[in-house]
Amino acid sequence: MSSLEISALCKRYGPAVALDGVSLTAGQGELVSLLGPSGCGKTTALRCIAGFIDPDDGDIRANGVSILATPSSKRDFGVVFQNYALFPHLNVAENVGYGLLFRKGSKAERERRVREVLEQVQLVGLEHRLPRELSGGQQQRVALARALVIQPRLLLLDEPLANLDARLRDDVRWLIRDVQQASRTTAFYVTHDQAEAMAISDKIAVMKNGKVAQFASPREIYQRPAERYVASFTGEANFLAAEVERALGGGLFRVRAGGATLDVRGAGPFAGSAVLLARPESLAIVTDGTGQLEGRVVKSVFLGAVQHCEVVLRDGASVRLGTPPDRPLPADGTVSVRLDVDRTWLMPDAVP
Amino acid sequence: MTRRLPRLALGLPAVLLLLVFLILPYAEMITMSFRTSQPGTMHGAGFTADHYRNVMSGGLYLGALARSLLLALFITLACLVVSYPIAWHLSRASGRKALLLYACVASPLMIGVLIRNFGWMIIVNVDGPLNRVLLSLGLIDRPLRLLFTQGLVALALVHVFTPFMVLPINNALRNINPAVIEASRSLGASRFATFWKVILPLSFPGIQPGLILVFVLATAAYVTPALLGGQMVTMMPTLVVQTLVGTFDWPLGATLAVVMATAALIAVVVFSLATQRLMERVRA
Amino acid sequence: MTVASLGSRASRLAGSSLIVLLYAFLLIPLVAVVAASLTAGEFMRLPPEGLSLRWFARFFQRGDLVEALLMSLRIALVSTLVTGIVALMAALASQSLSRRMAVWFQIGMTLPLLIPELLTAIGLLFFLYRIGLGKTVLGLQIGHIVLAFPYCYVSIAAALRQIDPALDDASGSLGASGWQTFRHVTLPLAMPGLVMGAVFAFITSFDLYTVSLLLKPIGGNTLPLALFDFLTYEFSPTAAAAATMSVLLAFAGVAVIQKLVGLQRAF
Repeated sequence: MSSLEISALCKRYGPAVALDGVSLTAGQGELVSLLGPSGCGKTTALRCIAGFIDPDDGDIRANGVSILATPSSKRDFGVVFQNYALFPHLNVAENVGYGLLFRKGSKAERERRVREVLEQVQLVGLEHRLPRELSGGQQQRVALARALVIQPRLLLLDEPLANLDARLRDDVRWLIRDVQQASRTTAFYVTHDQAEAMAISDKIAVMKNGKVAQFASPREIYQRPAERYVASFTGEANFLAAEVERALGGGLFRVRAGGATLDVRGAGPFAGSAVLLARPESLAIVTDGTGQLEGRVVKSVFLGAVQHCEVVLRDGASVRLGTPPDRPLPADGTVSVRLDVDRTWLMPDAVP
Repeated sequence: MTRRLPRLALGLPAVLLLLVFLILPYAEMITMSFRTSQPGTMHGAGFTADHYRNVMSGGLYLGALARSLLLALFITLACLVVSYPIAWHLSRASGRKALLLYACVASPLMIGVLIRNFGWMIIVNVDGPLNRVLLSLGLIDRPLRLLFTQGLVALALVHVFTPFMVLPINNALRNINPAVIEASRSLGASRFATFWKVILPLSFPGIQPGLILVFVLATAAYVTPALLGGQMVTMMPTLVVQTLVGTFDWPLGATLAVVMATAALIAVVVFSLATQRLMERVRA
Repeated sequence: MTVASLGSRASRLAGSSLIVLLYAFLLIPLVAVVAASLTAGEFMRLPPEGLSLRWFARFFQRGDLVEALLMSLRIALVSTLVTGIVALMAALASQSLSRRMAVWFQIGMTLPLLIPELLTAIGLLFFLYRIGLGKTVLGLQIGHIVLAFPYCYVSIAAALRQIDPALDDASGSLGASGWQTFRHVTLPLAMPGLVMGAVFAFITSFDLYTVSLLLKPIGGNTLPLALFDFLTYEFSPTAAAAATMSVLLAFAGVAVIQKLVGLQRAF
């Protein structure tokens, strides 16, 4: 159990830059997700932490001590691989007990530890099965157990749910979170699925082209994204071009957007143009005159619990929003849209 | 990085083995072909290009070379004809049947050429089973003397090299997506057209290496002509071995070997270049 | 029944007879050798005149043939051991090469298989003579090692390629050293390929003829050489008995490979 600090990590493969100055910290017992599309460098970062590849530059410190010179076999980090990487010739108990072979302890003690961990991941009774005789979910639990049994200082998970079907994914995700919290193990979790990252993490690092675009709590990432890329990667997002008129103080700014003048939240300073984020849930079609925006519904889709609409605002920008499915839309499509100003977020329109 | 270096070093013994005992011997062979001959010893002290002049102008040698190349070509094509149906049949089989068929194709590969040739000797012997069957059927009135004929040499060589052709073609056929064949049929192509337009081109990645391998090996096959061909026909490989262990003229023997290897290599390069475009198109 | 379906039935029948004929073509010489060796009669006749193992007994009474057999077995055994170790090391090394480099490395390692045995034998004849190993058992042994090596390498390299590289990382992250990973993970997983390579190397070496002819030591003979000489002056079932041993060895090899890896993956 330890804290981990990554600073200015760089890794190049020929002309391709996989990591470009990545800095992150994970406090003791925290679960940090590395979120991003494929090729963003998240797996490279994880493999650097695990010690499978050496970074070209930067440092990784566990409890304040650099571990770059330590080979992966001496780092005491448990790794859960995307395809599980179970040893095909060893049964479940042997797979889980593998890491204990290289640590002190009697055979009886090893067996006790293995039993303990198998109970924790609910695999008791399958000790003598070979990996190929297990379902995907069971294999995943073995992989988790194998990483946990060595009581790692750090748990590293590389897309652990990617090969499971949707139904199993939730179960295993809860299991991972439970055992991680129970053992208070610091963990890094690589995923491309924003919902997964939101659900499981204490902190999320959204990555883009080898850089960390934003590193913050799931709430902050979703509600106060640092840039357009982060906002669109973490959920449905409408972006409105905004002209900033002035700062009102207290984190409020007066902008012109969507053909209206609005007072919105943001983290300035801004000069001139900016981008206004309006998640679909911050928009609503209203008839009581409280709408600040006007537009026309150009498309609507019935989805059962909700009806999705696309509305073109007066200045030509289009936004998507949800309305209750039983509410009829006006025949000519002209609607008034209310923007919940407290749930909007103003961002710079270009990131240096 | 730190782990890669010692790992690469593990390859050193193998590289050394092949460098010293394969590459250097070839260099030695080429050097030898330029040495002077000296009766009574393996070679003389000086260097000369006379052997090449001698070989290239001598009808005996060029004739043997041409015969060897032609025979190799014939054997290669015959192997293709024999192998394709087997490979096709093998590629369609599955389960225990496939296993048995694989064993049938692979077993000859694991038995020495000499022994397989010997089997043919037993079969075509003057009082062997083939002659007796033909006699009793009344197809012939005197036993055929097949031993020590070029026909038997060719037959035995086709038998020796067929597995080398079957296995790569089988692999290529197995790599063809069956849906492609169904698509061809659904678009109105006949079985024949589907074979000709789809299956045959797509199996070329197996055919090409098979043809090359069999041609090269057949050009320089020594045992079969020596055992089954007797003194009847002079083939390049038998000529080379006679020169080396019979007359001990090493420089001349080396020259003959180099000429044979070069001729086969040129044929292979020309064939590869000619089929390069097809290969590029059909390679997965 | 329509004319068309009759036609397709006829063509299918023709097709399957053709297949049967072709397989028969592959197997008949082998059957002939084994059958001829089992005859109880005095001559090499097919079908055999009664069954007996007397020609095998006769084979073992012939000192020259037995000596040749022992020499072949000895050389094949050493070839197997040396190629097994060297090929395993080379295959492990090839894993840390880039994809492109690994392809070239593989071509290099299989060169003795891709170029005719006769040419390699001639080169070795000259070279071994130059370094003073001409006409020695060691020289012959070296020739066998070079020619058996590719079979061994291909089998082992294929087995290693089947192993998920993540297993190496997994083992390392769990605390295993490089050697421990090799012992607990790589070696057990590569074992079938290793055994297959050994079988190939042994059989290849046991059956080599041309290279033995050119490199054989004075007074020494391998079984194929002895068999060839024997055949040129005596066409008796003793030769068939000698040949049958080679056939049996091959079938044992095929059976071992099938048991360990499955033939489909092997070839």
